[in-house]
Amino acid sequence: MLYKAVMIGGSAGSFQVVTKILASLPKNYPLPVFLCLHRLKHVRSGFVEALSIKAQLPVEEPNDKDHIKAGKIYLAPANYHMYIELGNKISLSTEEPINHSRPSIDLSFISAAYTYKNKMVGIILSGANKDGAYGLKKVKDSGGLTIVQDPKECQVKTMTTASMKLTQVDHVFSTNQIIDFLLKLN
Amino acid sequence: MVSLQDISKLIATIKSVSRYDFEDYSEKSFQRRVEKILMDNRINVTALIEKIKTNKDFLEKVVKDITVNTTELFRDPEIWTTLKHRILPRYKNNKSIFIWHSGCSSGQEVYSMLILLNEMGLFDKAKVFATDLNTDMLELAKKGVFRYRFNLGYFDNFDKVLRENPYNFEEKIDVPYSKYFDIDKAKDSITMKQFLRDKPIYRKHDLVNDKNIFYSKFDIIFCRNVIIYFNNKLQNKIIELFSNNLYKDGYLVLGAHESILGPVANSFERTKGLYKKKSF
Repeated sequence: MLYKAVMIGGSAGSFQVVTKILASLPKNYPLPVFLCLHRLKHVRSGFVEALSIKAQLPVEEPNDKDHIKAGKIYLAPANYHMYIELGNKISLSTEEPINHSRPSIDLSFISAAYTYKNKMVGIILSGANKDGAYGLKKVKDSGGLTIVQDPKECQVKTMTTASMKLTQVDHVFSTNQIIDFLLKLN
Repeated sequence: MVSLQDISKLIATIKSVSRYDFEDYSEKSFQRRVEKILMDNRINVTALIEKIKTNKDFLEKVVKDITVNTTELFRDPEIWTTLKHRILPRYKNNKSIFIWHSGCSSGQEVYSMLILLNEMGLFDKAKVFATDLNTDMLELAKKGVFRYRFNLGYFDNFDKVLRENPYNFEEKIDVPYSKYFDIDKAKDSITMKQFLRDKPIYRKHDLVNDKNIFYSKFDIIFCRNVIIYFNNKLQNKIIELFSNNLYKDGYLVLGAHESILGPVANSFERTKGLYKKKSF
């Protein structure tokens, strides 16, 4: 198998896109999918439930040092940074927010790029700040495959255009194209 | 990114010149802390290692900068609500309650618990101990002065825990902030009341090397979002330390996304995000 993991970062305007993507991923999807999404400061609970409604795969906010399993959706918990460690484990941290963000998309992507090298797919969706742009560059630098949601389709395009400025991304895709692509990884 | 080889070199150097041991820290967050230190000090890793060898004060500063000091008033209100309604009432008839805040950082968790104990009428019975590796943080905790604006978001937590009762929505309890702290908006400060500041005993404690330093067992041990910075091996060692120093039926309170993974998990029963030590 070519890839070992998919990581998706998003902020304002990404919720519906993520929901649609999750609804399309079939049971027994062969890869783990990591979600690093900004949320409103006080929306701490209920997010997993909202994402789970249409998803066929289990969605969870992992505990520190949980083993990573294929076919699971891991949502970075509110108020924690989420790292992917060597040895197929997740670790969490409460270090200070970066670019006002905790979880920081950059940190998750950087750690995943380091761990999975060219065996990962990084996707940046709609969002209102630049978090994620640097992380996606690290994915590309490590040989991973990079995708951004087409800024024309994004509710807020700051995050995707910042990503494209920093990195020669591999694909600029609509939501439907992202879904088709992810299904072919199957 | 600092290479893992350089990280190993750094850890070995620190170990050779002090008793600090970062060998069993979680890789990614440790790496990230080191990068931050390199950036803040504008030096490279080789220079950092050299400076640590010769400059004791610098070493102490680096160790402090490695530790993560995030703490909030009533972080995760659900846990505090559980303590209030389900756990603390059990201690009503005890003569004393021994509490240890391990990794207390700047003390917001300690003050949260003191406030809760006072609301429950358990304040005088409580023996409160609080420890951290970072002595700067312990000094901040003792002072009990926090930034107002930064903490504003956590007043909601205070309200949820102290003014509401999830088991009886109609009940609204009037607990004024001024009972526990003075707010000075111009100075951007919250100052905890003297009686709260006077209560805890603060000590430096290193979870990697030190055992229980208090000659007592505990009814409740808090250690929230501390062991996430350690690998499984060290996590298990520390949970064992806690297990050995809890009274039976005592509680261990971990962070919202921490769990006990090793064989020592069998010594505990998980109830509503808290770990209760089994009686056998």
